[in-house]
Amino acid sequence: MRSKITGLFLFQVFLCLVTITLVLIPLFWTDIPWPTIARDHMENFGMAASGARNMVSAIYLGYRVFDTLGETIVLLVAVSGTIGIIAHGGDVLAKGFGDPSRNESLYQEKTTLVKKQRTALLEVVTGKLGPVVLVFGFYVMLFGHLSPGGGFQGGVVVASGIVFLALGGRADGSTRLTEAGVLAKLESISFLLLILASLSGVVFGGGFFANTLAQAGMPEVGFIVLLNAIIGLKVGAGIGFMCIAMLGRAE
Amino acid sequence: MVIVFLVLLIILSAYTLVTRDLLYGVIALSAISLLSALLFYLLHAPDVAITEAAVGAGVSTVIFVWAIRATERFSPQDRPEKRNGSKGGKQ
Repeated sequence: MRSKITGLFLFQVFLCLVTITLVLIPLFWTDIPWPTIARDHMENFGMAASGARNMVSAIYLGYRVFDTLGETIVLLVAVSGTIGIIAHGGDVLAKGFGDPSRNESLYQEKTTLVKKQRTALLEVVTGKLGPVVLVFGFYVMLFGHLSPGGGFQGGVVVASGIVFLALGGRADGSTRLTEAGVLAKLESISFLLLILASLSGVVFGGGFFANTLAQAGMPEVGFIVLLNAIIGLKVGAGIGFMCIAMLGRAE
Repeated sequence: MVIVFLVLLIILSAYTLVTRDLLYGVIALSAISLLSALLFYLLHAPDVAITEAAVGAGVSTVIFVWAIRATERFSPQDRPEKRNGSKGGKQ
């Protein structure tokens, strides 16, 4: 039995190696040079056209902004699905499957264990570190056109800060950022703002996702900063909401 | 430097696959994410490095640990009294 499982495992490893070899060998053996047209175009004209020094954020918020819209919708669906699973199967997830009587005692045991593990060290460190992480997240989010980062990265860092605040904050209501209702509203409003910002080009005759701020006389890069801020808020609120729901505080 | 990181990545990945304790596997996954972030930074992709560090080492580790907390230890090789003793011990 055991040798059979080991043999199956080794066979899977062998299969993975064969697949990787089949995919990678044509890449290395080909004589056709890598295409350089898009790269050279971005290098020569990208910064002048978009105004962003960070070319990555110029691409995913300017040249390929439809991809970003799709990713945002994917994240929205993922968060909705997670919340749906937690809302309908949360008790099962929290207590484990199988024998209900034994798991009930196990659940109680674990709950007291978790309460015992909430030491002063955890509360002080995460409570003090949370605001600093939040500020860094907003920096990464708002300066995504100049330095490495952007909406998604800053949003995830903001979500980490929200989790820190939720772990470290005592229940005296010093911040409302860790409340599930506030986060859910924040995410919905940011997604509405994203749709409105993308549709605003249509009103001014530019087309979907046209740069309306540039047409109004603002710098070209303003639209990228706006989209970065909206996406960062949406990602931060969404992932923070998901983590807080998994912490069991979604009531 | 890059080669050292890549070898460490392979070793940690193999450890994640073969370890019998899920919690050890999750911590090894977190270390893999951190090493990948350093690797991305060395290869001049700081955007990807920030994403990898924040998502891989931060958020996904929290989610994995919270999912493991909802499970209990079970292994066919463990004797029953040992299994009852270690129930919910480390998670």
